[in-house]
Amino acid sequence: MRLLRALVVVALFVVAVYYGYRVFAGRPRPVAAATVTVYYCKTDGETLVPWKLTLGPARDRKSVAFYAATQAVAGPSSDIDAIRFPSGTIVHAVDVDGSTAIVDLGGALAKPTAGSFAESAEFKALVWTLTALPGIGSVQVKLDGIRVPTLPGGHFELDEPLSRASF
Amino acid sequence: MSRFRVRVSNGSPGPARPACWALVALFVLSIVSPARAQPAPNLWFAGTWLVLERSQTRGGEIAVPTDDPALARFLAHLGATLSYDPAQRYAIVTTADYRTIAFTIGDKRYAVGAVTETAPFAPYVSGGEAYLPFVALAEALYVQPVSQADATVLQPQIASLDVRNEGRVSVVTLHGAATLRFKRLSAGSDGRLSLAFLGTASTLDPYRDVAGDGLRSISISVGGSVRNPTTTVTFQAPPGGLHALMPAGAPNALAVAFAPPGVPLTGTPVPASGVASVAAAGPAPVPTASEQTTGEYAPAGANVPAAEPSTYQAPGYAAPAPPAPASAQPVQVVNFESEQADQGLNVRVWLAGGSVAYEWHRLPDNRWYIDFKNATLAVAPQDETLQNDAVLSLRLKQVTLDPYPVVRVALSLATPRLVNLVPFDGGVTIAVDRLDDLAPAKVGIGTLSAGVLAAATPTDQTVDQTPAPIVEPTPWKFTPVPVVAYAAPNPRLIVIDPGHGGSDTGAMQRGLVEKELTLDISDRLRSLLVARGWLVKMTRDSDVDVFEPNDSAHDELQARCDIANRAGARMFISVHVNSYTSGSLNGTTTYYYKGVDLSLAQAIHSRLIESLGTADRGVRKENFYVIHHTVMPATLVETAFMSNAADAQLLRSPAWRQKVAGAIADGVGDYAGAPPPKSSAPAETSDTDTPVPDR
Ligand SMILES: [Zn+2]
Repeated sequence: MRLLRALVVVALFVVAVYYGYRVFAGRPRPVAAATVTVYYCKTDGETLVPWKLTLGPARDRKSVAFYAATQAVAGPSSDIDAIRFPSGTIVHAVDVDGSTAIVDLGGALAKPTAGSFAESAEFKALVWTLTALPGIGSVQVKLDGIRVPTLPGGHFELDEPLSRASF
Repeated sequence: MSRFRVRVSNGSPGPARPACWALVALFVLSIVSPARAQPAPNLWFAGTWLVLERSQTRGGEIAVPTDDPALARFLAHLGATLSYDPAQRYAIVTTADYRTIAFTIGDKRYAVGAVTETAPFAPYVSGGEAYLPFVALAEALYVQPVSQADATVLQPQIASLDVRNEGRVSVVTLHGAATLRFKRLSAGSDGRLSLAFLGTASTLDPYRDVAGDGLRSISISVGGSVRNPTTTVTFQAPPGGLHALMPAGAPNALAVAFAPPGVPLTGTPVPASGVASVAAAGPAPVPTASEQTTGEYAPAGANVPAAEPSTYQAPGYAAPAPPAPASAQPVQVVNFESEQADQGLNVRVWLAGGSVAYEWHRLPDNRWYIDFKNATLAVAPQDETLQNDAVLSLRLKQVTLDPYPVVRVALSLATPRLVNLVPFDGGVTIAVDRLDDLAPAKVGIGTLSAGVLAAATPTDQTVDQTPAPIVEPTPWKFTPVPVVAYAAPNPRLIVIDPGHGGSDTGAMQRGLVEKELTLDISDRLRSLLVARGWLVKMTRDSDVDVFEPNDSAHDELQARCDIANRAGARMFISVHVNSYTSGSLNGTTTYYYKGVDLSLAQAIHSRLIESLGTADRGVRKENFYVIHHTVMPATLVETAFMSNAADAQLLRSPAWRQKVAGAIADGVGDYAGAPPPKSSAPAETSDTDTPVPDR
């Protein structure tokens, strides 16, 4: 009986070690705490203002890009005058293909919207934010998973990847 | 009120076993089955039960999956959105006032804006969905759980109340969890203003002294029931002062400005009841008999526009230097030199002819430039690459001449550096100084006269400014694009593109519809051009989609380009009306993209600015689809902002729209002269080319 109990304890311990290994080794290796630079565009439509965000334990490259994209879409706090994506814009996903970040947006952005003025400034801030990340040189925008020439009823061209030189 | 945690019992511990058994078993359990389905506590929110059907519990706390329909309702009520992609390790909620709450899968710490908080458990993934700590999320959204006998009530809060003084005006900004709905309880000549916020609680200090000229104190009390609380905020201002609602930028924020007696104030008078969204607010509603209005609100007479919320401008606010009156003689840049300095470079600019307004910009990529307003260049423009550690290149250029001359000195810096303006008798030295890693992108304005600089006002002090990463300098915005010669097969033909149409309405605000305005202006333009001897083809001459009804944006926009490209038109003019989410922006912008577009855009823009009376937003290069994919010189004219009250008023006027058409037609004339004689062009067959009588 004592032997049986001892065996069960050992078995449980082995199981525990196995699952522990699965859980911890399966995680992306956290690197040192990272900061990302996020930009917003002032209401002159021209001037970009950077601010810096510290991520907790920095994760894999795509997650950091996703984080940065979400921040750029949210923009700075509401007391700052900035050109903003429509309230209710969602970042569905961010993928990285070589040096191009593929940003899938949706929510309020997919509804036909306003004039041309804000369009380019919104994407300017997003593109500058993502291309501030190491290794990312351009940004392909998608809308609800689809590559589009412009936003619905829009003006600014989105079908090719955008870089800082696009603005 | 104190903070409450929502806890759910985990059940009783098992029968006694040897300690090692229990410990190991618990350890294993904690890894292999981290969460167990448990009924969530009864949650009451915004007048109804909030049933988180698919929630789990972890460590006694509610874990809610990102796709729970009740979570979606909860967020929607607060105007918040959730971004989560199973491939990423973050789930990020954006609030209505643009704060972000970022959860990391596998980490207890989460970020609320720039502040890091710790949740009772780390968000985890189970069955493809991320489970988030619900109470931590609710609290970050300014919703406070309050335990009652039969339920936990989720109370939206007024979470912060910030006071800032702008000159003698005090501005109070309140941030709430949800859209702030309020009722004015009193506003009298004793200077007291009480606002009751319905369905909202608060744990803010009940009394606050404010050391402002416009406002003395604020007191806060919470009444009503736990399920339906009301927070009353009472502002005590000096008697005889003024108060008004200010745009606060988000529906869950409200700003009220207070001015002492004798100080003017513009804004919307605080209505008897309303929601926080000032931009959307119309005229102040008339108080109804049932309201406890105990005093009359006295608006600031002529200073308060009755119907139109306007941008508040406090005394001391640094507005951009207005263009000098056209009559003022331009200042001349008479000499320009650069020399090595100890730490960097000194660029000396000699000016003649009086005082000059300037505006400098520090861009995030280490470019720095200064514009001298109403100034002309009396020396040759320069574009030098330098052998200098601090400055890579230096340019001097007349950026615009007509209608308003601006001279720009632009520096491309190797690293972030301090740039000082040092006046001397005959002008100003731009001193590029030591390394300055902490300098943010900034802008400053001021005037320079007789060796004295005045009112150099840096802006953007509100953001946590950090240095921008050093990046490759991008081409200057004003660098001329190479011009590729274009010979029109049909040199008498102009294609006019009335923006939007059919299923695509374009922008709609203030009762104006973009597709209708663009067609009206285009019709007028067609008449004028035809009368002047041009052949004109319209991409649409009625309210239709150009390609087919409900077509894709690609088909629609390409169809417009195809019309012009196939017809071999001489030029392409796309007419649009701008709009923006707030009423603060106004003016006329003319866009170009290709090198061949620029001179057409400039010619049309000059005429527009000359005759329309709108603000000049300039000629800008932008990758707009229809001017990119047309092969001939093309321009897109954003005539005015329908979102701006004054511009909208202009857009409503047929006479003004006729002026727009006239200015564009004059610009076409300036650009191309008269149309070539008929014999030089193949005849067009479309009936839209038939000359129509001028209006
Ligand atoms: Zn448009």
